[in-house]
Amino acid sequence: MTSTAEPEVGRARLRKEDARLITGRTRWTDNMVLPGMLHMALLRSPMAHARITKIDTTAAREMPGVIAVVTGQDLAEEQGSLPCAWPITEDMKAPDAPAMAVEQVNFAGEAVAAVIARSKAEADDALESIDIDYDELPVVLDMAAAIADGADLVHENLGTNRCATWVYDSAEAGSGGAIDDAIAGAEVVVERTYRQQRLIPAFMEPRSMLVDPTGDQITMWSATQIPHILRWMTAAVTGVPESKIRVIAPDVGGGFGGKLQVTPEEIITFLMAKRLGKPVKYTESRSESLASAHHGRDQIQKLTLAADRDGTLRGLKVELLADMGAYLRLVSPGVPILGAFMFNAIYKMDAYKFVCTNVFTNKTPTDAYRGAGRPEATFGIERMMDELAAELSMDPMELRRKNWITHDEFPFTTVAGLTYDSGDYESATDKAMETFGYDALRAEQQERRDRNDAIQLGIGISTYTEMCGLAPSRVLGALRYAAGGWEHAAIRMLPTGKVELVTGTSPHGQGHETAWSQIVADQLGVPFEDVEVLHGDTQSSVRGMDSYGSRSLAVGGTAIVLAAQRVLAKARKVAAHMMECAEDDVDFTPGTFSVKGTDRGVALADVVVHAHVAHDLPDGVEATLDSDATFDPENFSFPHGTHLCAAEVDTETGRVRLRSYVCVDDVGKAVNPMIVEGQVHGGIAQGVAQALFEEAVHDESGTLTTGTLADYLVPSAADLPSFDTSRTETPATTNPLGVKGVGEAGTIASTPAVVNAIVDALRHRGVNDVEMPCTPMRVWSAIQAGGAR
Amino acid sequence: MEFHKPRTWPEALAIKAEHPDATPIAGGTDVMVELNFDVHRPDVLIDLTEIAELREWFTVDGRYRVGSGVPYARIIDELGATLPGLAMASRTVGSPQIRNRGTVGGNLGAASPAGDAHPPLLAAGAEIEVASVRGTRLIPADEFYTGVKRNAMEPDELIAAFHISPADGPQQFAKIGTRNAMVIAVCSFGLALHPSTRTVGTGVGSAAPTPRRAADAEAFIAGELDWDSPLPLRDSVKRRFGELVAQSASPIDDVRGTAGYRQHALSVMARRTLGWAWDEYRRNR
Ligand SMILES: Cc1cc2nc3c(=O)[nH]c(=O)nc-3n(C[C@H](O)[C@H](O)[C@H](O)COP(=O)(O)OP(=O)(O)OC[C@H]3O[C@@H](n4cnc5c(N)ncnc54)[C@H](O)[C@@H]3O)c2cc1C
Repeated sequence: MTSTAEPEVGRARLRKEDARLITGRTRWTDNMVLPGMLHMALLRSPMAHARITKIDTTAAREMPGVIAVVTGQDLAEEQGSLPCAWPITEDMKAPDAPAMAVEQVNFAGEAVAAVIARSKAEADDALESIDIDYDELPVVLDMAAAIADGADLVHENLGTNRCATWVYDSAEAGSGGAIDDAIAGAEVVVERTYRQQRLIPAFMEPRSMLVDPTGDQITMWSATQIPHILRWMTAAVTGVPESKIRVIAPDVGGGFGGKLQVTPEEIITFLMAKRLGKPVKYTESRSESLASAHHGRDQIQKLTLAADRDGTLRGLKVELLADMGAYLRLVSPGVPILGAFMFNAIYKMDAYKFVCTNVFTNKTPTDAYRGAGRPEATFGIERMMDELAAELSMDPMELRRKNWITHDEFPFTTVAGLTYDSGDYESATDKAMETFGYDALRAEQQERRDRNDAIQLGIGISTYTEMCGLAPSRVLGALRYAAGGWEHAAIRMLPTGKVELVTGTSPHGQGHETAWSQIVADQLGVPFEDVEVLHGDTQSSVRGMDSYGSRSLAVGGTAIVLAAQRVLAKARKVAAHMMECAEDDVDFTPGTFSVKGTDRGVALADVVVHAHVAHDLPDGVEATLDSDATFDPENFSFPHGTHLCAAEVDTETGRVRLRSYVCVDDVGKAVNPMIVEGQVHGGIAQGVAQALFEEAVHDESGTLTTGTLADYLVPSAADLPSFDTSRTETPATTNPLGVKGVGEAGTIASTPAVVNAIVDALRHRGVNDVEMPCTPMRVWSAIQAGGAR
Repeated sequence: MEFHKPRTWPEALAIKAEHPDATPIAGGTDVMVELNFDVHRPDVLIDLTEIAELREWFTVDGRYRVGSGVPYARIIDELGATLPGLAMASRTVGSPQIRNRGTVGGNLGAASPAGDAHPPLLAAGAEIEVASVRGTRLIPADEFYTGVKRNAMEPDELIAAFHISPADGPQQFAKIGTRNAMVIAVCSFGLALHPSTRTVGTGVGSAAPTPRRAADAEAFIAGELDWDSPLPLRDSVKRRFGELVAQSASPIDDVRGTAGYRQHALSVMARRTLGWAWDEYRRNR
């Protein structure tokens, strides 16, 4: 083994996993075939709210190839209630959440019966022979109406559609003043209401699962982000001992939070395989996925921003309604709460109050979707900063500069009580402004206004930060989250010189295998190619908290560093013994130990063998260098950046064309800049999608009318401009790698940048908002309503 | 389900005569979607993809006869220069995969008001050649569309081809959608200048139960254009043309747009495409 001259960390390496992922020659769950495997199909409710008055499965049972047909009644004894791990308040209302509806359906798409057959086609065909009668109930769709007096109820037994109300008040918490004083004493108060439309995560690989009950353990393969949590929760829900369950997340084709879930489908498949004693597979169709896999966002935000005439912020009041849908899934109630600490963003102010009421409706449950809480918050504050700037006739960037935390003020404790460890908003902004050509674009904007051009130009700014690296277990505990936030890594030094890294993170497209290999290579001085990254199987990766919340690198990456340090500490003892010197006299340069001040040395590879055969180890040293570690950071990490968008708005048709998009992100140290760039690109695309294209729409009966990808408009490359992405690197101080996380940053930043640009283009025509998604018709209608001059 | 795969056109017509309810399938980009979503369960399918002559095009007396099975991708590549309006519309259809499979014949068979081929066929004065064991007839495009997803064919007929003159002047196509690719038109508009007859052809899509011509607009503008000494068009003329096109539509409110927006957008597209086409005509004289 020789050390590479150039450090691995910081190299823009191609991803080692891509060849197999791109060609599909890999272990996707649906590719797997087991002997005797049966197939499941689910009958889903076409009704959003109804009592099931009759289910007759007799005819379906007689269909060719059918092995079993079950209803919610048949599973009622075993299926328990799906877990919600985040009871945000002591008095939170949580309905029973059966995997399969028993007496009542509460959203269109809820599973009401399952057919298990010898082939998928036979299972699908038999679904049609199930005879089911519903008694329709009034449908609850609108959040405001749902919490009004006398509203129809989603869950009669809860007595209300109010799930919980969660409050953060800086005066009570001691992190700032009283919001009412701040508003009363301010010279300018801006009030707006924004709608975060309902979105669908729309991962590329549909959810798929295969459960094999053969042997002592029940093995579940699932296209999930969270094999470890899924194992734990499956045990909790079904009563099967956790030690009897093995969960494997093989390669997983995207998640965006949508696979951070313990799904009804997983529990039903698990129970059916157990009951029948045969492997059972279920893979959803695209339309099932769009209707039934959890949705995201869906908030009404009422925002009040108070400031002085010179632009100094005084306080911010946030009043939210958040749509939970029909049930609470794994972290549904906590998603808006993750935004509670982010509405104040990078700005200093005296007072802050956040009140969020979670509401039940007869829609698909909502839960984490890329950014989970922070995109909503960032949208709210960044839109409000533009509104305030307009109110004050101030340049929107000037207003931001005036209020943001300056680089010499870190660490900085915010009005929401978080301590930001580091950041440099000035540098990122200066760099972005220069690349963007801000002044020239402003001049062109003025020129187009002057000549009343049909095409108007707008400039959108988003200077965001976010909290990621979920994490500090103590903080999560204080927020009443049921699990911890640590991460685990184990390093196995194989006698042949190869290295196995076992991680508790669970990649589903992010490129962990490459980045983790780079970290290990640097720490131990072994070639990148010699590192094999193992993940996603609870039998090999025995401990872990999985991947979400941009946590994998900041938390899981650090666990790798700690495990490597333990390997080296052990190796140093063995090397000293081999070189017959004192441990203090041993030097380590990556790959080699030597005796200080001499040319005597021993390669790490030889130390590995020595420790492995264990013929001659010093007293008290255990065989092998294998080591593991867990890491639990003391704080979140806080990526930040400046995103700038120039949009052309056709004032006659309402069509928006993004002309240019420049961003400078500070995600701390970049382990692999190419992966960072990929994450930023995908993130921006998804944020632009919210601004311009995507919305889950329900009709008045509660049916999803955007149930195919022809109607749910995920943008393609043809809809997006070329992104100009670059970075500044202000290391995080809360982990040894100095990393922050980049999985969600682009999505968090880009949505307000785009909408700000559209509104900026039309501000002179009396427009101060366009509801998302900003379709041509909505933009045109906003212009009409603005009273076009 | 019965599945037929005729090798010859007479064979196909014979099968259709025997099974008037049969569903023909060309590229399948409409038919397969409907089968997958269980919208239709035809008892008989006739696969037309083995019939070579449906995939051919040639000229007869200066007019093009384009087989109903020629996919969009080939219309763009092979006929882009002579049928620019249809080629422009073809470029906006679906995605590369859909343009490789989907055909104008299928668009005509489906007769959706949102079909992108219809406005340019209307504007260019195309005719649809339909055939049965009883014989062959030509139906002018503006008589072909009879209702929402209905056309003038008899149950035993199949679409053989469409006949269309090569462009004698500039042509345009404009479409408003909510996305750039893979999107159903909110509304669309096709325009063809015909210097040889001193007329203007139009086609309005997605803004009425059927694709249709804007006859009043055509008549109005024919009276306004000076083909021999073409001056830039006055704004008021373009606007009036736009208004008349918008008035020819009878759109509805649906998930993709309100009637009001559709009508407004049509007037903008009509005004702009007329301006572009007329400028091109003036430049190229
Ligand atoms: C993802 C996607 C995107 C799409 N995007 C667009 C778009 O942007 N614009 C657009 O206009 N359309 C679009 N479509 C619809 C479709 O691609 C077009 O209507 C296409 O022209 C259909 O052609 P086809 O050959 O595939 O027809 P098929 O599906 O084979 O047939 C369509 C209909 O025509 C009938 N038919 C076919 N051939 C004949 C014949 N010779 N004689 C009589 N009847 C016949 C069939 O029975 C059927 O009713 C899209 C479809 C999909 C799936």
